[in-house]
Amino acid sequence: MNKENYDIIIGLEIHIQSKTESKMFCTCPTHYFSKQPNTHVCPTCLGLPGALPVPNRRAIELCILLGLATNCDIDSEIHFDRKHYFYPDLPKGYQISQYKRPICSDGYIEIRDEDGKKYSIGIERIHQEEDVAKSTHHTEGNLEYSLIDYNKSGVPLIEIVSKPNIRSAYQAKEYASKIRQIVRYLGISDADMEKGQMRCEPNISVQTKGTWEYKNGEILPIGENKLNSKVEVKNIGSISAVEKSIEYEVERMIKEIEEGKKIVQQTRGWNADKGVTEFQRSKETADDYRYMPDPDIPIIEISEEDIERISKEIVELPDEKKDRYLTTYSLSEYDSNVLTADRDISKYFEYILEILSKDMDTQKAAKAASNWLTGAVFSIANDKKIDINESNIPKESLSYLILEFEKKILTRNKAEELLRESLEQKKDLKELISKAIEESKENTGNLDSIADEVIKDNPKAVSDFKSGKQATIGYLVGQVMQKTKGSADPNKAKLVLIEKLNG
Amino acid sequence: MDKQTLKHIAELSRINLTDQELEKFTPQMETILDSAKQLQKIDTKGVSPMKRHVPFSDLREDIPQKSLTQEDVLKNAKYKENGHIKVYGKIFGSIEES
Repeated sequence: MNKENYDIIIGLEIHIQSKTESKMFCTCPTHYFSKQPNTHVCPTCLGLPGALPVPNRRAIELCILLGLATNCDIDSEIHFDRKHYFYPDLPKGYQISQYKRPICSDGYIEIRDEDGKKYSIGIERIHQEEDVAKSTHHTEGNLEYSLIDYNKSGVPLIEIVSKPNIRSAYQAKEYASKIRQIVRYLGISDADMEKGQMRCEPNISVQTKGTWEYKNGEILPIGENKLNSKVEVKNIGSISAVEKSIEYEVERMIKEIEEGKKIVQQTRGWNADKGVTEFQRSKETADDYRYMPDPDIPIIEISEEDIERISKEIVELPDEKKDRYLTTYSLSEYDSNVLTADRDISKYFEYILEILSKDMDTQKAAKAASNWLTGAVFSIANDKKIDINESNIPKESLSYLILEFEKKILTRNKAEELLRESLEQKKDLKELISKAIEESKENTGNLDSIADEVIKDNPKAVSDFKSGKQATIGYLVGQVMQKTKGSADPNKAKLVLIEKLNG
Repeated sequence: MDKQTLKHIAELSRINLTDQELEKFTPQMETILDSAKQLQKIDTKGVSPMKRHVPFSDLREDIPQKSLTQEDVLKNAKYKENGHIKVYGKIFGSIEES
């Protein structure tokens, strides 16, 4: 198999459930996860005759917000259309969606490619639609049947369609995770793929090099060449599965082509347990959805002021934030990445930074906060499997800890020990720190007498030191540390000891 | 309208029509389409589409209200199981559309 002869062409369709309180076209509550089936349902989302859809303003705002954050053009009018297909998960017989005029179009986002270079992925369109019911499939003897729960039916759903300029499984994964990061940052969606709040469906084809070109957002054959059909992959349950399923599918298609077989346009399902894609259905005939404007919903006018108001919700996005951490705070590339990956973490970091900056130079404070967070705090939180948040590790207390460390009142070991102790035994961190400082003050006061004691108790080590064995001082410092239960500053102890021994 | 088109449209709605039914319905459908076609004769040049426009601010606020009870939801369902509506028949595989 010679992979070098082929180009990989991927377009990604992503569905995102918006985080609203009520459904897209009715007032049913959206929080259906793990609720009793068919309890978040009304005549509208059940498609009963005569029920009318009333669009949710917040849902449309979130859709526009995503469009603004991904450099899209925003339409001045919103048109809803009916997409017809007959399936029990869709009680009306059509889904309200958008066809010719998506709210947002022609945008892009930037990702980092495998070689670290920036790569821009085009966004064809972002439109608003409604989710469908959840159906599970069963058999009863020879009879097949489905069980339908309409709680999910009508939950606002945003569809993001990329341009087909994704060229590798890696890029597809990066693109999907960047979209997820943006929608989480902006509070548009929790985008938990396991809960179905985010779904990714790649369209993949492989083409022989030199037979195609990318023009005006489309893949076109050059001259007499014929393009190979594309395959759509469904049932992808995680970001890593985006990459794995594409890698698998590309290899499978190249093998087929090399064996002289024709690729049939089809939908395949990713089987995460087996790590393979499986045939679901062929798509030889074009889908026939008989789109038409939805006569129940008026045309919605969006003014410049509306867009202006919505754009105020755009917070600093991860990429900008990262650049700021790199330049203003001089943090490392790695630390900046880690601290901006999750908005809650970056907020936490910035809060700590604010407190520390009152007593320290900002760059120094940033470095200290970053070192503690990406180091001890992450590792302890990871061990204990807890989230880093206010209730687990109060920001005031952590800042206090870092400051006392920076002032050299607490040693690194002691500070980490206190953090661990507070989490393990659910003790108040602030109290632990105050107690430790008091102890250490007492000990520092006593350091003089403890040093005398240690010198008295270790005549051999003392005479060794005096006869020139400098290394013995380490042993004596160790004795002091033992007597102070680790709370003394070893450097200070060393100075006191040397002074006494030389004096 | 020919028999083939009618068959296709019926299949999209999961309706199976026999050959006899297709023979019978094709001319009927044609009559319906012909009536509708008369509308196309009207000159609409310069007439803007009659669709209501609303400003964005008029849309519904995102405030949830009570839904129906599960009992009410299932009232019209012919078959039900564990709070779900039960639908017999294999529709098209296990693919969930959205």
